[in-house]
Amino acid sequence: MNNYLEVRNLSKSFEGFRLHDITFTLPKGYIMGLVGPNGSGKTTTIKLILNMLKRTSGEVKILGFDNIANEQEAKRNLGVVFDSNYFSDEWKISQVEKSVSAFYENWNKQKFSEILKRFHIQPSKKVKELSKGMQMKLMLACAFSYDAKLLILDEPTSGLDPVSRDGLLHILSEYIEDGEHSVLFSTHITGDLERAADYITYISYGELFFSGGKDEFIDSFRIVKGGCEELSVDLNKKIFGIRNFSTGFEALVKTEDLKQFAHLNVEPATIDDIVVFTSKRGGQYE
Amino acid sequence: MSNIWKSAKLDFSLIKPYVKTICFTMVLPVIFAAINRSLLTGISFAMCFIAMTTGYTFSITEKNSMERLYGILPIRKSDMVIGRYIFIIIMGFTALIFSLITHPVILTILGESINIFDYISAAVIGIFLFALYTVFQLPGYYKLGSIKGRVFMYIPVAGFLMTLLLITKIPVGENKLLFTVINSPVLLMLLAIIFVIAMYVVSISASIKILKNKEM
Amino acid sequence: MKLIISNISGIPIYEQIKQQVKSAIMSGDLQKDETLPSLRTLAKELKISVLTVTRAYTELEQEGFVKNIQGRGCFVLGQGSELLREQLICKIENNLSEAINAARVANLSEEELHHLLSILMEEKTDE
Repeated sequence: MNNYLEVRNLSKSFEGFRLHDITFTLPKGYIMGLVGPNGSGKTTTIKLILNMLKRTSGEVKILGFDNIANEQEAKRNLGVVFDSNYFSDEWKISQVEKSVSAFYENWNKQKFSEILKRFHIQPSKKVKELSKGMQMKLMLACAFSYDAKLLILDEPTSGLDPVSRDGLLHILSEYIEDGEHSVLFSTHITGDLERAADYITYISYGELFFSGGKDEFIDSFRIVKGGCEELSVDLNKKIFGIRNFSTGFEALVKTEDLKQFAHLNVEPATIDDIVVFTSKRGGQYE
Repeated sequence: MSNIWKSAKLDFSLIKPYVKTICFTMVLPVIFAAINRSLLTGISFAMCFIAMTTGYTFSITEKNSMERLYGILPIRKSDMVIGRYIFIIIMGFTALIFSLITHPVILTILGESINIFDYISAAVIGIFLFALYTVFQLPGYYKLGSIKGRVFMYIPVAGFLMTLLLITKIPVGENKLLFTVINSPVLLMLLAIIFVIAMYVVSISASIKILKNKEM
Repeated sequence: MKLIISNISGIPIYEQIKQQVKSAIMSGDLQKDETLPSLRTLAKELKISVLTVTRAYTELEQEGFVKNIQGRGCFVLGQGSELLREQLICKIENNLSEAINAARVANLSEEELHHLLSILMEEKTDE
């Protein structure tokens, strides 16, 4: 099996929100970033993958197993990290292991205590005594202890300081180093993904904007800058997003349309640029 | 089966920090039994109290957003539900055994004599009341959560008051059918157990259905 | 071998890797049959995407600098330096012919062009 996660035509309707026709594939051995502004549908997508929400239509395969028909098998080798921990506050770390390990056949006790040591988590502490960064590491430690093949992280870096964020990225690149593990990582702090992610899936207003290689994603856009009078009606049509100010404008364009903008100042775009520019509607921030 | 058992054990680990409090609530019915000089009221009171604590598992999971943990564990939703019922039944059973030992001791010290009929009928009514309370409570908690479903915590209180009322009001001597049943402990037990099992089967399937359709 | 990635140079990361591997081969820092760091290890250490390193290595292979052997690693090929030299000569030729074209437009004689080259060379050696 080469695809660790397959999402096909996934849709979900709520009152006032619709996730529509999301399709992407995460191959074995790579990191995929799931990006989009808050409220675009990232967490909904993840909850649909985990069968915590009921999908309206579509199909999800985790490690080759259907996420509903074979829910148990699908989740056996799956690790999940949420933005806050999902253990009882009153549990000691040793109690966390006791409660959770029973559900995983290949839980490795020794590995768990090694990882705790590496992460500087004391087994005698209670969950509520850990910092946010430590709680995230505790969830990771659990996933690593049963050698989860696929790791899904939902906004793990929100509320973390730069040191912990960097630490997480290091842990993740180490995790996929052997080519046998994959990571799906949702975040609105796209700087985290700029370097380490292999693939990007970008969801905007509940719809799939892009899914594919990160370099390809970044390469396919450019930022152009120029004075107000340099922006003709023709050029305006080719623009994905624009910021006007009194002395000029900045706009996001497709690299393939660059010829028409050759007279302007051209710069490479970042993931952030692409998300910010394409999320503005009618020139307004929402 | 093993997943059901694991799930029940997970529930126990949620309750663990509160075990002392729950044990303490079991002391009050002993006093109640002593004041009323009645095993039956003592047991009814005990089962009412323990049934009021069944919401703990739900409120702890809700407080810690642990529906997310349940959402990622490799276990079927039906096993989760059955595990929780088993855990709660064990809780009720432990409380019943504890009360069936302590209450008669206190009553005997106080000079009350308890015959085997009192004893068995108290046990059967204890089981029956606990089942009656929990079969309504659990689907309620699953449906509404422990905060919105707070009202389900008071089912046992209402039930208890009604029992007290019924015990004194039932005209046992005039109803022939009731008389036979109550005077035949075996028949009484059999009927009660069948009824209890049937109630749990319906309640469990309702809870499974609710959880499967729940969006977390 | 030294490999460092700049985030502000504006040059794509895969291109930076390629350039640095090439110059390491040129300078003799990387000898024939030496292996490049494993793809996934390099990605981990530089905290960059595995696909980015894959692209750099694949392009280096296409250009004839290294040979990728599945499961064993990426080996430096012997003729690396000659190949690179050829590429550089090609670049020089292109630039010179551009200079000649410009000289024609400016009506510069061949002698003056030679003279200009000598002056520039002297300036470079002075640096």
